[in-house]
Amino acid sequence: MTATTTPSGAGFAGLLRAEWTKLRSVRRWALTMLAAIALTVLISLLSAASSSFQTMGGSAPPIGPDGVQVQDTFRFVHQPMTGNGEVTARVLEQSGVEGVIAGWAKAGIMIKDGARPGARYAAMLLTPGHGVRWQTNFVVDRAGSAGGTAPVWLRLTRTGDTLTGYESTDGTNWRQVGSAELSGLPETAEVGIFVASPNFVRVERQFSGTSVSATPTWSTARFDNVGVRPAGAPSAAQWRDEEIGVIGLGGPDAAGGPAAPEGPGAPDTPDLPDAARVSGVPDSTGASTVTGTGDVAPRAPDEDLTRMSLSGVLIGLMPIVALGALFVTAEYRRGMIRTTFAASPRRGRVLAAKSLVLGAATFVAGLVACVTAFLASQPGQRASGYKPPYFPSQSLLDWPVSRAVVGTALVLALVAVFSLAVGTILRRSAAAITAVIVLIVLPQMVAGALPLTAAQWLMRLTPAAGLSIQQTAPRYEHVAGICLPESGCFVDGPWVGVGVLCGYVAVAVAVAYWLLRRRDA
Amino acid sequence: MTVHAEWTKLRTLPSTTWLGLTVLVATVAFSALATLAVDTSQCPTPTECFEDTTRVSLWGVRVAQVAVAVLAVLAVTNEYGNGLIQTTLAANPRRWTVLAAKAAVVTALVLAAAVPGVLGSLLAGRFILPGNGFAPANGYPPLSLADEPTLRAAVGTVLYLGLVALLAIGVGTAVRDTAGAMIVVFTLLFSFPVVTQLVSDPKWQERLEKVAPMTSGLAVQATTALERQPIGPWAGLGVLAGWAGAALLVGALLFRFRDA
Repeated sequence: MTATTTPSGAGFAGLLRAEWTKLRSVRRWALTMLAAIALTVLISLLSAASSSFQTMGGSAPPIGPDGVQVQDTFRFVHQPMTGNGEVTARVLEQSGVEGVIAGWAKAGIMIKDGARPGARYAAMLLTPGHGVRWQTNFVVDRAGSAGGTAPVWLRLTRTGDTLTGYESTDGTNWRQVGSAELSGLPETAEVGIFVASPNFVRVERQFSGTSVSATPTWSTARFDNVGVRPAGAPSAAQWRDEEIGVIGLGGPDAAGGPAAPEGPGAPDTPDLPDAARVSGVPDSTGASTVTGTGDVAPRAPDEDLTRMSLSGVLIGLMPIVALGALFVTAEYRRGMIRTTFAASPRRGRVLAAKSLVLGAATFVAGLVACVTAFLASQPGQRASGYKPPYFPSQSLLDWPVSRAVVGTALVLALVAVFSLAVGTILRRSAAAITAVIVLIVLPQMVAGALPLTAAQWLMRLTPAAGLSIQQTAPRYEHVAGICLPESGCFVDGPWVGVGVLCGYVAVAVAVAYWLLRRRDA
Repeated sequence: MTVHAEWTKLRTLPSTTWLGLTVLVATVAFSALATLAVDTSQCPTPTECFEDTTRVSLWGVRVAQVAVAVLAVLAVTNEYGNGLIQTTLAANPRRWTVLAAKAAVVTALVLAAAVPGVLGSLLAGRFILPGNGFAPANGYPPLSLADEPTLRAAVGTVLYLGLVALLAIGVGTAVRDTAGAMIVVFTLLFSFPVVTQLVSDPKWQERLEKVAPMTSGLAVQATTALERQPIGPWAGLGVLAGWAGAALLVGALLFRFRDA
């Protein structure tokens, strides 16, 4: 220890400089870094050029008040309400037309800015699987009392721009579920009862591949005590029964817009079973039966374009893995490690310096690769049909996009450090590289062949989870979705996956540090 | 003589024994896991699973090929790493012969590990699959080598591992560096399937599957719905053979005309 009498700061800076010199002076390593950048960009370009998106005849999906694409297809039995007032109804029963009913099938009451798809709204509704909900403007969802089942009373009141939703079991004791300010709601809004039933998504996974098919479903709800105040006792003439968001099934002004294209394989004009025609305006006692299909919810994009434009890193990280392992195993191979430790006997600091230098260099190279891949993929994606209005154009400055781009570079840096630590533990390039590749790349290939839950857990628990940072599409709790690992879906949010990867890195570095101190070099 | 020398070198590498064992064990173990993971209860009706039971039972080679590639790469690059290659070439300056002997010995070893691996996988499948509903009653006869497509899949899978070894030897000879050669081999094998998943245009998917060394090579495992495979069983193995041949040729030319 007498050799290291220099102040610790200067000593560590010297170590950093030494490691940086080693990293940059091996020509093969610089080429490896360049190969990683080139592979990332090229594979991303190929992926953009060789994908294609065909619109299914309809026009673009409606845009909700918050600027997100939404699905706004449902059966709406409504009448205009001017100024302040309230709408009340009791949902007696909810049932599926062809046996099964979706967990997020909706039956309830709504105040909406006209019948145009995508218009702002507030709703109190009952679902078979998730109880009573308060939902506004597609993205907001709040649960009512737990275990809310039919029959249940629902009420919406309007005071100025403030809308408030209540639920009740008896029609006298009301409990507030949610309240929202719907700025810009016109003096006269449409109020009434509505029914929606989302598509039934069927997934078939076999070793030969995965097929996803969506079929429309219908559900029927019976209401009574439907009432609107201050309109007085509503006469049947005032009610209008409309299929919102579907061509040719609605009233005279046909709900304003053509059908929204749904997921791939979804039919755009569903065949209406006879049962679906059982739909009617409330009678004089306020009783009504309504059958509807569709959903009122944010719409998941068909493809996460940011993820697609960064897909090349799956291959680009292979050279990075090699570089990370070699950065230490090459020193063991040539005996250089003894010189390194003679010059700096505090081995932990050598490991720290190596990790920092390698991590920083990989991060910078990864950032160059990701930004280039993202920008270069844009024209190709547009040429392949991924363009507005179906896919809003994206910019590096948008938060989810910049998170994905910077996060992917971070993941590359973490993988490099992980590989370095595994290299320190195993001291052999062949063993270290194989171990890291098996841990990171193999799960991607194996996932598609495993049962869905096993595949999802595999992607959550292996270091490959870090790539979840590439997801930019927001997730909504109140939209049922199927998360297929083979199409790049991760169950957890972006940062959880990076956390898992960080955990692996931390454990590997700790073991490497412990072994480094314990073993002879 | 050269073959004997190569055999001695390979045999005495400590990694050879356990990598050879890994090939065998990984093939059987991951195949058994795959057969445990499929179940007719996931299908609309047990008879409508359309699952290629032979292919599922041989699934473990996808993992085992990693060990094959490492074994073959190390057989070449270790000699460069420790400088033994100078001695080898001094003892036998005919480089074509040296490379051919090395390729023959490594491939023979891989084949020797692959045969029991494949047989063990089929045997495991034969015992496990009926328990998951793939029983004769549902139209899935027990796996048997007397069945011509199953025999083809079994033989083809053994040959597949041999060709992966040859591919790795070619790359190893060309690259000469353990890490570099392994990354090239893994990228060749794994990047195509990963990219195929990323591509949504079916035309491109089929193109990629036809040229990919791994996907086309493993087409030899198909026993049902051959018309829906991107490439025929033997033609697919031929594509992999083409990759292996090209790698060996590049390796051999570099080996012949480059200083060791």
